[in-house]
Amino acid sequence: MTIFDTPIIYALSILFSLAFVWFVLSQVRKRKLREQYSLMWLLLGLVIVVVSVRSHWLDSLAYLLGIYYAPSLLFLIALLFVFAYLLHLTMVISKLSDRVVRLTQELAIYQQREHAAQPHEKETALHE
Amino acid sequence: MNQPKVLVIIPAYNEEGSIANVIRRIQAVAADTGLHIDTVVVNDGSKDATVRVARAAGATAVIDLPFNLGIGGAMQTGYLYAHKNQYDIALQIDADGQHNPHDIPTVIEPILRGESHFVVGSRYVEKTAYRSSAMRRIGMIFFSSLIRLVTKHTVKDPTSGFRAADRRVIRMFAEYYPVDYPEVEVLVHIARRGLTFQEVSVEMSERQAGTSSITPIKSAYYMIKVGLAVLISATR
Repeated sequence: MTIFDTPIIYALSILFSLAFVWFVLSQVRKRKLREQYSLMWLLLGLVIVVVSVRSHWLDSLAYLLGIYYAPSLLFLIALLFVFAYLLHLTMVISKLSDRVVRLTQELAIYQQREHAAQPHEKETALHE
Repeated sequence: MNQPKVLVIIPAYNEEGSIANVIRRIQAVAADTGLHIDTVVVNDGSKDATVRVARAAGATAVIDLPFNLGIGGAMQTGYLYAHKNQYDIALQIDADGQHNPHDIPTVIEPILRGESHFVVGSRYVEKTAYRSSAMRRIGMIFFSSLIRLVTKHTVKDPTSGFRAADRRVIRMFAEYYPVDYPEVEVLVHIARRGLTFQEVSVEMSERQAGTSSITPIKSAYYMIKVGLAVLISATR
């Protein structure tokens, strides 16, 4: 018994994972996704392909770990992957926020200096 | 230090009603005492006429942030400005008028005498006219205990926004300043850097215009966030 013992779900999951890998690669080609962030997604696509083609590997691994219901191992792996990636993303966001704050401060101080140099020239302010 | 350059940092968010008076009172103190005191207003993305009012009132500099960075980001902008322009002392004062500029000489005195790197103007060191709410007193006890736990120092009014920093602290703040609710956290950072701070007694009044940014729900987040930040910084 495997989790993908019907031919339809077997074919669908291979099709889906290949489409997923193709989509990720095309986004990298268009420079909409950086290589460094694409690696994790490509790895995920690869794992899905392997699990689809060799679904009994998942059963064996579940048996080895003492997991009674093999698909729950799949959920566990997926969940851990999502958690790890979300943590990584919030770290990236933290770094980006720090940089945005610093850039904003430097820009505002620079603008103040310009304004002090020519105080009578009317600025074309966007937000006043 | 002969004739130190003092910068008063006034972060402002929608404070058109009180900012002009604050600036004029600081200028009056500078005139009375003969101290070199400049003022920088950091407009944190206000939607009102704060920038125009501050310029008209004669602030030395008005830094107009293009959007709201929050109190930490705005305050750090002031310290960055102080660092870039080589001020000897940077003071922070609230734009809402609750701090009395007449206390500026008192607050900078320990720095001028070389006693402390950082000074907090406190409501509670001696008995002053200020009356505080129950929520505020609970928070104050919580933060005071937290600081005593981590730094072994007793601070009676750790959230006071009336503060003065010397050159070393200015440089430290220009490099790193907490994003939100920074008052308590920076005291811990200063102590852990081996720098000294002290409290002096000042007068405080109720705000003159506008509304306070602290609501009861935010207070809970405030205590949890600052508690976590302080405990983590104690392990650095």
